[in-house]
Amino acid sequence: MDILVVLEDNRGKVHRMSREAIAGAHKLAAVMDLSVGALAIGENADTLAKEVEKTKIKEILVIKNDLLASYNADGYAETLKQVIQQESPRFIIVGHTYQTRDYFPRVSAKLDIPFIPDITGFQYIGEDLVFNKPVFNAKLAADLKGKTDQVLISFQSAAYSEDEIEPGMSTIREISVDLDRSLVRSESEQPFQEEAGEIDLESADIIVSVGRGIEKKENLPIAFDLAKVLGGEIASSRPVVDSGWLPLFRQIGSSGQSVSPKLYFSLGISGAIQHVVGMKGSKSIIAVNKDPDAPIFEIADYAIVGDVLEIIPKLTDVLQTEKDK
Amino acid sequence: MKIAVLIKQVPGSDSTLPLNGDGSWIDDGLVTFVMNESDNYALEEGLQIREKIGDGEVVVVSMGPERVLRVIREGLAKGADRGIYLEESGQSETDPLSIAKSFASVLKDESFDLILTGLQSDDTGMGQTGVLLGELLGMSTATLGIETNIVSGAIRIKRELESGWFQWVKLPLPASVSIQSGINQPRYPSLKGIMGAKKKDIKVVSGSDHRTETKRQSLDRLFIPKADKQTEMIEGDADTVVARLVEILRSDLRVI
Amino acid sequence: MIEREVLELDVLFVGAGPASLAGAIHLQRLLRASGQVASVGVLEKAAEVGGHSLSGAIVDPRSLRELFPDKSDDDFPFEAKVSEEHLYYLSGKRKVPFPFIPPSMSHHGCYVASLGKLTRWLGEICENEGVDIFCGFAGMELLYDGEQVIGVRTGDRGIDKNGVQKPQFEPGADIHAKVVILGEGTRGSLTKKLIHQHDLMDDRNPQVWAIGVKELWQMPAGSVQPGYVAHTMGFPLGHEIFGGAFIYGMENDIWNVGLVVGLDYKDPGVDPHHELQILKTHPWVRSLLEGGKMVAFGAKSLPEGGWYSVPKLSVSGAMLIGDSAGFMNGQRLKGIHLAMKSGTLAAETVAEALAKNRFNDTQLAAYESRLRSSWVRDELWEVRNFHQGFEHGLFSGLTNAAMGLITGGRGWGFKDRLTNGSGHDRMEKGRKKDRYNDLKFDGDYLFNKVTDIYHSATAHEEDQVPHLHVKDTNVCITECAEEYGNPCKNFCPADVYEMVPDGDSQKLQINFSNCVHCKTCDIMDPYQIIDWVPPEGGDGPAWINL
Repeated sequence: MDILVVLEDNRGKVHRMSREAIAGAHKLAAVMDLSVGALAIGENADTLAKEVEKTKIKEILVIKNDLLASYNADGYAETLKQVIQQESPRFIIVGHTYQTRDYFPRVSAKLDIPFIPDITGFQYIGEDLVFNKPVFNAKLAADLKGKTDQVLISFQSAAYSEDEIEPGMSTIREISVDLDRSLVRSESEQPFQEEAGEIDLESADIIVSVGRGIEKKENLPIAFDLAKVLGGEIASSRPVVDSGWLPLFRQIGSSGQSVSPKLYFSLGISGAIQHVVGMKGSKSIIAVNKDPDAPIFEIADYAIVGDVLEIIPKLTDVLQTEKDK
Repeated sequence: MKIAVLIKQVPGSDSTLPLNGDGSWIDDGLVTFVMNESDNYALEEGLQIREKIGDGEVVVVSMGPERVLRVIREGLAKGADRGIYLEESGQSETDPLSIAKSFASVLKDESFDLILTGLQSDDTGMGQTGVLLGELLGMSTATLGIETNIVSGAIRIKRELESGWFQWVKLPLPASVSIQSGINQPRYPSLKGIMGAKKKDIKVVSGSDHRTETKRQSLDRLFIPKADKQTEMIEGDADTVVARLVEILRSDLRVI
Repeated sequence: MIEREVLELDVLFVGAGPASLAGAIHLQRLLRASGQVASVGVLEKAAEVGGHSLSGAIVDPRSLRELFPDKSDDDFPFEAKVSEEHLYYLSGKRKVPFPFIPPSMSHHGCYVASLGKLTRWLGEICENEGVDIFCGFAGMELLYDGEQVIGVRTGDRGIDKNGVQKPQFEPGADIHAKVVILGEGTRGSLTKKLIHQHDLMDDRNPQVWAIGVKELWQMPAGSVQPGYVAHTMGFPLGHEIFGGAFIYGMENDIWNVGLVVGLDYKDPGVDPHHELQILKTHPWVRSLLEGGKMVAFGAKSLPEGGWYSVPKLSVSGAMLIGDSAGFMNGQRLKGIHLAMKSGTLAAETVAEALAKNRFNDTQLAAYESRLRSSWVRDELWEVRNFHQGFEHGLFSGLTNAAMGLITGGRGWGFKDRLTNGSGHDRMEKGRKKDRYNDLKFDGDYLFNKVTDIYHSATAHEEDQVPHLHVKDTNVCITECAEEYGNPCKNFCPADVYEMVPDGDSQKLQINFSNCVHCKTCDIMDPYQIIDWVPPEGGDGPAWINL
């Protein structure tokens, strides 16, 4: 196979970002006329493979080894190294998750091949394959190129959509790797959940963000309700935090957090440059503001000149009704 | 216990980022530089570990043009014992493997028990140096540490996972661990710390002694992300707008 | 709980500007030459030397030549020698050149420079001379032993916005020094306290200031002549407001465009930032900036009072140098060379004091004597009544200045000393015309404050008590709103002060994070209830070449 997509196990199911990686792999395959394969590792490997067998993947490799039952960097890195050596793919692709960031660099160093991370797109220009990555907290973008025949790549969340996965039929094949017990040096305990302290807005897919246009603290539930029905997180521009209506970690902008979610729903935010630099990398931006000249409209995909207090409660109602059906 | 903390000097989050003539990098001359944020947390973690053990040394390591000596001195002012400076005056090094190999060549003979790095840098954000370095030096590795604990001959790390999940992992030393911002409260340098920093040793390694010529990847061009947005104005009364929004959320954005 | 750090030094300069740095360099050399050993430190609230330095500037190389006799002008970090100079009167559409420029107002032989660059250059030399520069530390209070100043306490770090200590809390450090030299720049906060505590303005004219707001514009290659100098009067300020514009050609195709506005105007609606934007609507200025991009913004106040508003310069254990003392030649629009000279004269006094181990008022008064017999006094004497003439408008001011030129500085040609009131007292109640009705910010050429501030790379620790202390915010909602319409919204170039809805009424919101440390609010507030104190050390602008 030319392209190998490594599937990540998200509590027994294929991680959303692995599915997005398949979509991205299909795009790359189409442009360069390459074949796509996949790899599933761990105690749920069979289930993961089955989940994607009706997609355009030639072959899904499955590895079951008790040293790999659950994720560990040593085991997974060595395993992937051996698979790459066995199968010789040109591109090894994953979603840019906390897990892949943990072991992909190990593979990079083991094989002396580059890991090009957090990619939002690529262009095939002439003979050159160029990958795009946001840099400097998404204020700028960069063109990156691999200099070897094999490259490791991770795609940014929502860079591709799982809806773009091409359908097909795959074969599943179990393979084995050579792992010594002494190889796995780490001891991991069971993962656990904690009371949400500071929300990591950076990993939220949907963000509903409020600005001055919400007018008063008492109106915040309008935004909270929309966020809830969409399954998103709440954020805000600076003035809302300065007024004490929301805590500091909700602030988006040059002196707050930088985010690039799938959807940034901005309510009553003017779009001052200090705020915009923290969110303009968002995949889609819907902006509602009373002021037709609000700078936020320059970067919005969908612009609504209107009253947040009137429109949003209605929207939430309709969405809730749909959901309840 | 010997702890190395890798520190990168990067543009401050409020700095302007003007592109240079050919767009291959930013124009350094007009940029305000600071210590990379997560590296500052890594440094504090290293200092706290040394304090808890009561013994050992913290060495700050950095690579770049002469101006990076400032962040090394900042580290010394905060309490690191000595510094190592790898000269690199060429165009900013952007291949993580080459960077890691440079560090590996300089650090391998020192036999560090623990290498701490920030999770990723605020410039290129490749987020790999610590893990690459760990692999090159044969160390066990972990990333996204938001709490650490030294137990005999090993380090326990609480790793941050997605969506509010966490996991404790125990690694034998030597280990290379990358640290997430917010793990601790970085201290301020004291006046005496600033005065004392001048007397601490900084080992200088020249470019020719550490540089790897073969790059595995390159950053060819920086550009301002194009705002070629087609903005759809949604007009009409509230109900019309809401109807259109529902359609967009369902069909175009597929979030419902 | 961390204990308060105590540091013992011999000499402490507060503020790493040209005055302190020149002083510290000179002092180290004097000490070395006489075989004395003394520890010299400089306190600087910015994260880096030069971070809070802002000026036009045109520098008279005199002081640099004195301080570095072995160097030539080419060694100094200037942009370019003044290659051509113009003085214009602007109307809304036209520019009329002045028929001639009097020699004493000419910039011939001087250099266009960036104060930030110059300060950084001096800072490096200073450190190489063995001086410790402590960046990120703000001088908060003076320490006393009876009447004698014995040091400075720096600001606490790690206090949250409710005044509660955070886990990384560290109390300010006490730096004990035999002499404290305040070179804090314009309207220094410790200087303000010292002047008040010891009545140093007794018998003097009140200090008055102006604010300078500026933008740096990156132009296409080859379109800017370094060393080009133009000053203007008239549009947009008109005849009732003191001030004028400056346009300097810097290296690397940068236009340095700024406006000086006297902080003694009558109309509370005046907004210096907006006036700068209006200046840019002049066709001539537009033609200069065509095709360029704004890359930096900054603002700072400057002392305009002149010789008679210089305070008493020393007390037991402390001295005032540079802009903190008000050594600025308003007519020549130059103060950097005077600041540096004052720093070196202070250094000489300190070297003597160290040798005698005596630091009382009598001993340190030698600084003032030295100053009075130096060219600082000679130069400032000639223009001692310059600013005062403008009290009655532009033409009066120019007439007074012209008469001063031929009478060695006499007011109206005959008066030895003109008096003036405080700038904030001249503000009149009730708004005048709205000067900004037609001003439209397009975000490309004309910028609102928020956008300009973004280009000053200013940042503050968000979770701290605002460093702008308003003694009675009720005044804002009641008297001030009625009488002056809350001029803080206007005179602050950084949108720090905002009146926001609060139920049925309003309240003052302080967006301290935008503050560029210009001190205008402390100066111009008509009720004098705003006290500017330094924020947490390291906070504020991060200017590179302003």
